[in-house]
Amino acid sequence: MGVAAALVTMSALILLTGVLLVEAREVLDWRFFLDPPSRVAAEGGVGPAVAGSLWLTFLVAAIAVPLGVGTAVYLAEYAPPTRLVKAVESVLTNLAGVPSVVYGIAGLALFVRGLGLGPSILAGALTLTALTVPLVVVNCRKALQAVPDEFRWAAFGLGASRWQVVRDQVLPAAAPALLAGCCAALLRAVGAAAPLLMLGAVSFTTFAPGSPNDPLTALPTQIFAWAARPREGFLALAAGASVALLLLMAAMHLVLFAHRRRQKGTWS
Amino acid sequence: MVMSAPGPALPVLSTERLTVRFDGRAVLKDVSIEIPLGRVVSIIGPAGSGKTTLLRSFNRMNELIPGAKTAGTVHFQGVDLYDADIDQAEVRRRIGMVFQKATLFPKSVFDNVAFGLRAKGVEGDLHGLVEEALTVVGLWSGGAEVLDARALDLTAGEQRRLSIARALALKPDCLLLDEPTAALDPAASAKVESIIHALRHECTIVLATSDHTQAGRLSDLTAYLDSGRLMEYGATQELFTNPRNERTESYLTGRLP
Ligand SMILES: Nc1ncnc2c1ncn2[C@@H]1O[C@H](COP(=O)(O)OP(=O)(O)OP(=O)(O)O)[C@@H](O)[C@H]1O
Ligand SMILES: [Mg+2]
Repeated sequence: MGVAAALVTMSALILLTGVLLVEAREVLDWRFFLDPPSRVAAEGGVGPAVAGSLWLTFLVAAIAVPLGVGTAVYLAEYAPPTRLVKAVESVLTNLAGVPSVVYGIAGLALFVRGLGLGPSILAGALTLTALTVPLVVVNCRKALQAVPDEFRWAAFGLGASRWQVVRDQVLPAAAPALLAGCCAALLRAVGAAAPLLMLGAVSFTTFAPGSPNDPLTALPTQIFAWAARPREGFLALAAGASVALLLLMAAMHLVLFAHRRRQKGTWS
Repeated sequence: MVMSAPGPALPVLSTERLTVRFDGRAVLKDVSIEIPLGRVVSIIGPAGSGKTTLLRSFNRMNELIPGAKTAGTVHFQGVDLYDADIDQAEVRRRIGMVFQKATLFPKSVFDNVAFGLRAKGVEGDLHGLVEEALTVVGLWSGGAEVLDARALDLTAGEQRRLSIARALALKPDCLLLDEPTAALDPAASAKVESIIHALRHECTIVLATSDHTQAGRLSDLTAYLDSGRLMEYGATQELFTNPRNERTESYLTGRLP
């Protein structure tokens, strides 16, 4: 049963990649990943979009991971189970399930207009961070709760302080699951198009963003913009951009696997 | 110089009307018991009678369980253990505990024994202290390999002894042992019992066991707990041969579960 399911999933993934590669065969070359979009379909590339997505990934990871993991550690290890804490937990769980487009509207009001950031990389990153943090918290809290209490007791019983228990036992034990939880949340952010479209992401920029203040552009919105064009050649571009997005996600998965391998053997 | 008073041994640990509730349900009820200095005391009783909970209230482990409430007092060397300004970590260093499950850290033998010392902030080379603790439990034979061995690769008996060494490294005044031979084969059990027997000279020992013959072999005093109540407490020989309480007798003769 399990094997059959795995095979079906695998073949679906292979089929998807295959279709994308066939669609994108005319545009895929090295130049495509570096060049900016062009009015002439055949000359267009995803350079700025790749750079934008890398910026977004970096900024979201830098803000959402420490914030989310910290909150999860506080909730799972420190907070007494009062009604307030339970309410916070259920709010976060609900936020993690809110459709991403809703974050787009909030981000438009709050960051683009409210803070006057405009449709910039930074506004995009903050919006995606808002979307990612609840997910990081929920995933990481599960990871921490999966560590058996016996480990905490063993350490407390030897005179460790709460922080020593968390730092020396709980976090190392939960590390693989924490990493997986953060990656899953980041992958959602990297693939999100809707909130960025709401913010006013550009799909036609001739230069790659060099700072968080530059205009917002990213792979998912680029795919969306090209796919919405009626003319033949642009569909190939959209498929090519999708390949680029999958490659970026695969790279994040690789980091995860490499880390898992390293962790193996120290914790079971 | 103060002369030590003659008479009965001083209680090192004592509870008075100790009641522990989990989510409102009392699992220890009005337990008053004195543990004399330098003795081995066994707590026996049926499953769920509160043996573990009593042990855990001696070093404030119960309060780590959400929903646990403690009433009554516990004194250690005359000090109220549950006083607001008592350092819990220090309590647990002075009154060490070995849990029913060894729960070793997935690290080396050395790191397991050194954990408590490091948490306490002991500086410098810990090898002497670690090796000393391992010697007591028979895991040190002079070869450094054992220090680097992964704790989880040890046999069940060795793991149990390592968990005792881990607590001993802090040189506690008092050692709480919860079912120290549960799930061990006879040979491994015998080794652990001989360690406990030797430890009687180092510290006061409170032992929870569901094997009352073990209480008979190891302890000076035995307490019988039943549904959270202390039914009987006295010299082991006396309690075994001439129990005053009906329930104690039923338990010892196997008529209670
Ligand atoms: N963390 C907990 N939360 C709620 N109830 C608990 C908890 N730990 C123990 N209890 C309950 O308290 C009672 C006493 O448990 P305790 O573990 O002290 O008994 P015990 O004599 O050690 O039993 P055993 O022989 O099975 O080890 C039991 O009814 C148990 O279900
Ligand atoms: Mg028990």
